[in-house]
Amino acid sequence: MPTIRFSTSGREVHFPDGDEVNLLRVAIRNSCGIPFKCASGNCGTDRVRVDSGAENLDPPRKRERDRLAELLGEGYRLACQTYVRGDLTVTWDPDQVELGATGRVYDKLKQVWLAKDDTA
Amino acid sequence: MAELLSPPDFRNALEHAMKGREAKNASFSQAWANGELERHHFARWAENHYHYVGPFADYLGYIYSNAPDSATEAKDFLLQNMYEEELSDIRHTDLLIRFAEACGTTRERVMDIDNATAVTRGLQGWCYATAIREHFAVAAAALVVGLESQVPSIYSKQYPVLLEKYGFAEEEVEFFDLHITSDEIHGERGYQIVLQYADTPELQERSLQLVRHGADARFAYTKALYDTYVLPPEVVDPSSPIEPALA
Repeated sequence: MPTIRFSTSGREVHFPDGDEVNLLRVAIRNSCGIPFKCASGNCGTDRVRVDSGAENLDPPRKRERDRLAELLGEGYRLACQTYVRGDLTVTWDPDQVELGATGRVYDKLKQVWLAKDDTA
Repeated sequence: MAELLSPPDFRNALEHAMKGREAKNASFSQAWANGELERHHFARWAENHYHYVGPFADYLGYIYSNAPDSATEAKDFLLQNMYEEELSDIRHTDLLIRFAEACGTTRERVMDIDNATAVTRGLQGWCYATAIREHFAVAAAALVVGLESQVPSIYSKQYPVLLEKYGFAEEEVEFFDLHITSDEIHGERGYQIVLQYADTPELQERSLQLVRHGADARFAYTKALYDTYVLPPEVVDPSSPIEPALA
């Protein structure tokens, strides 16, 4: 039975052989402490470093490639975008927040905010 | 009167309530996953799907307004879910319309509810009625657990086919890729909300009932797409049950 080790919080979760599980879903369901916000691959709050078991992960999806860019090469993945099918160990900074407030989400919101008159 | 189920037992019961009713097993879903459909069928799907998922933030807004101030975690989840549907990135309905246009239909046709089947309009009405009239935890069970949590199991079978068999570009089918992952998390958070706030036997029982109704409604909606757009008219048997045959 494969095991996901959440080193930063000291939790371990087992799942059935042959299953493929979403890393953030497992973390939420078992209170493993990975910080998250949007869960859509936009904010990057749920980035984790893969210490071992990278070969048991699905290849990065488009949003993950777009968001993490060079961090992918440094062993980071977004938990919400990552599916696991074997043993895995991950760590993260428990105080981490979203990746820099740039990109199309921020740009879009900035456009919305700046387009409104400040009548306060 | 029924007894209050423990959280693990209640979760098992919620998961079991969808068994045999999963929309991934409806005829249209199976034909899609097997590569048996054509692009014009996807266009008709998009013209219907818009009217089911397009108002999703509206549904959640009604549930939000029914949740008391003390239900902070539930309200935060609902607000986050609404924000993601509409504002966090490209509006989700715009991703759906992008796919629809790649299938040969237009934004105008997609947004015109006259192009949806009666069953689709019924599903939309059920979603509104449930969101407006039910206890917020029951409505969350119906819409988030019964409907939204099914999405990854449906789209994970359909998305690879769109890329590999039909040759869509990644950007054209981003709607599916996005929801495979995001609805995993929405579904899980939905379970947590229901487990926490459906805290009487009556609320648990009603939640289970509406999860069954929601799963039935999504199954019927998906089956109706096959009957309407894929089967030749003479093959449709009007006496055929629209709900799944449960073992």
